[in-house]
Amino acid sequence: MNPTAKPRCRTISVTPEPSRLAEIRRFVEEVGLEASLEPERIFDLKVAVSEACANAMEHSGGQHAPLVVCASIYTDRVVFEISDGGDFRVPGALRGSARDDRGLGLPLMVALMDEVRIAKTRGGGTNVTLSLYV
Amino acid sequence: MRVSSKRVEGVPLVAASGEIDHGSSRSLQEALDVFLEAGDAIVLLDLTDVTYIDSGGISVLLATVHGLRGAGWLGAVNPNQNVRRLLEIVGLSIDNGFRIFDDTPAATSAAGEASPA
Repeated sequence: MNPTAKPRCRTISVTPEPSRLAEIRRFVEEVGLEASLEPERIFDLKVAVSEACANAMEHSGGQHAPLVVCASIYTDRVVFEISDGGDFRVPGALRGSARDDRGLGLPLMVALMDEVRIAKTRGGGTNVTLSLYV
Repeated sequence: MRVSSKRVEGVPLVAASGEIDHGSSRSLQEALDVFLEAGDAIVLLDLTDVTYIDSGGISVLLATVHGLRGAGWLGAVNPNQNVRRLLEIVGLSIDNGFRIFDDTPAATSAAGEASPA
């Protein structure tokens, strides 16, 4: 990918604790409003980004590496990249067994977004890219 | 998120407001568990003032439906359009143990019919 083709990425970096999710959603709301998205689409983005972050927080294993959310607004889509410093985990793999939400995080991301991409970062963490076409 | 509980015509009604996510869902679970442990077969959850829900909150609804399974149902009252859409996506809206109502009178009325005093 040619880096010069990317718009400036807006980022928020938080400690991997569920109490920080509301703060991340406020960030998503700001980006959504800047991109002139409909309220329903902003809601969808909030859910998808929250699910990706909640997954990352669950497998952070008590590490203190920050969770980084990077938002980019393109002419045809809005993209959120969620990167963590934990060890790579298949998103949702832990959830179904540990809780009664039947691993809903990943299915929700897929249902609400136009594209979901999951990759390992060079540092061994997990990188989730969520795209919404506009 | 804030949560409060009362009984309306004998029917348990938990009212939540704000955002229900992975960081805040525990207090909702605790409020609903009180009625599950009391043996209530029907529990109502007022979602009128809930602006956001994700799998953190949905897991609480699923656990409650599971806890009531066979005995009754969980009735969601007045979820907003976005919340309602998520409940549909995860399949709760077609679950026998889960019902959605437009307002509290409709919900308490249905609860009364289901379990006549």
